[in-house]
Amino acid sequence: MSVVRLESVGKSFMRRDGEQLEVLRNIDLEVPERSIVALVGASGCGKSTLLNIIAGLVQPDQGKVLLNDVPSREFRDWRTMAYMFQEDRLFPWRTTAQNVGLGLEAFGVPRTERRERVRKVLELVGLDKFADAFPHELSGGMRSRAALGRSLVTEPAILLMDEPFSKLDPSIRSQMHDEVLRIAALKGMSVIFVTHDVEEAVVLADKIVVLHPRPGRVRETRTIALPYPRNPLSPEVAEDVRLLRLSL
Amino acid sequence: MTLAVSVARRTARQALQERRVRLILLRLILVAGFLLLWQVASLGTPAFILPSPARVWGAWRNLVETPSFWTDFGITFWRIIVGFSIAAVVGAVLGIVLGASRLLGDLFEPVLVIINTVSSSIWAIFALIWFGLSNWTTIFVVFMTAMPLILTNVWQGTRTVNREYVELAQTFRMSRTKVLTKIYLPTILPLFFAGARLAFGFGARVSIVAETLGASSGIGYRLRQAADLVQTDQVFAWTLTLVALMIALESIILKPLERHLFSWRERQSA
Repeated sequence: MSVVRLESVGKSFMRRDGEQLEVLRNIDLEVPERSIVALVGASGCGKSTLLNIIAGLVQPDQGKVLLNDVPSREFRDWRTMAYMFQEDRLFPWRTTAQNVGLGLEAFGVPRTERRERVRKVLELVGLDKFADAFPHELSGGMRSRAALGRSLVTEPAILLMDEPFSKLDPSIRSQMHDEVLRIAALKGMSVIFVTHDVEEAVVLADKIVVLHPRPGRVRETRTIALPYPRNPLSPEVAEDVRLLRLSL
Repeated sequence: MTLAVSVARRTARQALQERRVRLILLRLILVAGFLLLWQVASLGTPAFILPSPARVWGAWRNLVETPSFWTDFGITFWRIIVGFSIAAVVGAVLGIVLGASRLLGDLFEPVLVIINTVSSSIWAIFALIWFGLSNWTTIFVVFMTAMPLILTNVWQGTRTVNREYVELAQTFRMSRTKVLTKIYLPTILPLFFAGARLAFGFGARVSIVAETLGASSGIGYRLRQAADLVQTDQVFAWTLTLVALMIALESIILKPLERHLFSWRERQSA
């Protein structure tokens, strides 16, 4: 079974000057269970739109979107999907614990259960000591952990990430990579993420989809068979990074 | 290292304390200087123009002892509270509605401009025509003064709502009501509070004007009565009462409430 499957998906947007802008053309994509898929490409290749289509926030003009083999329009299990944005989007008036619990509030989970689940997730992302801190009191890495925690608290089967770590320092970014890999393996999650960082794609993903811009099309799909954890400095990873750069 | 930190912390606390003492001292000097100036000025002037501080103090103590003092005080306070409360509810609801619908916002924007240009004294005259000598005259004037201020602020507040937060809520399939209470409300609250505070101050001030024109009780009415009888010391005494009331409200209710509601901001600026 594949958790996400796209068949010849296309999408155009109406530009402000009234002209049609084709963003995606004829996209096929398959995300097997427990896999990590990276969408890589230059800016303007519709990566984020593709993620929004999978998340059901944007409807495609052509093609089919299947989630757990169910057409996206009939899919009701949105709670099993979480979305992590490029910005942490933590509410400044909420503490870390309150921010992390947002999704549970949306789903109407009772307070006591919410508190327990938030506590567990804060432990998971290493923020248990900062439960009552406000976002501005956290460092960039901690804020990113909080945003990750907010995505994980609903126990999603699919985690979508739109360049989630691009604003972090390199060392903290690689810490976050380790966290995501650890938690994905632990929870049996599938991850689909957008990045323009080739090295990030090779370190995390077992499948890399290279997109070509204007309109966004799949140029090639690569499988990375290296065992985890992958050291970005190892020659095998460096070789895959080099090959991927060539195809971009 | 820890010693250095604790020393630094202690000096920081000391500095804070010194600053506070200095501030209190400055305030005392201000009050003393003001009283001195007042005393000197009153020496060469007849009491019906400028009564001396001692005389005003005496008038105030007599005033407090009269049984009607607290009823007048209470009725004015009550009118302000009623007018302000209606204004807060109506202003907040209309502000959210106008902010949520672009069509309604564009439609009613000129109305707000017009209401803002009409002076409170004119509202007082209208109120007198419509409500006569009743509580509603003052309440109406307070309402018409306070409501547009609150409405404008809440309206502005709806425009500062972060689209990215709403998008995040959509990924959780959050209901519209929850988006309203969990994103819109916290965003608007600081602006609502700022508007409400301003509106309360304005409302309290214009309530006196309204009472001098259209009431047969209350602080404004007593002020006019004292002025008509050239009891200038009483006019001063009522004025002092009002100033004391506003300072008390500000420091006992509004400031602590604001600090409590927006603790997340205070820590941010610290």
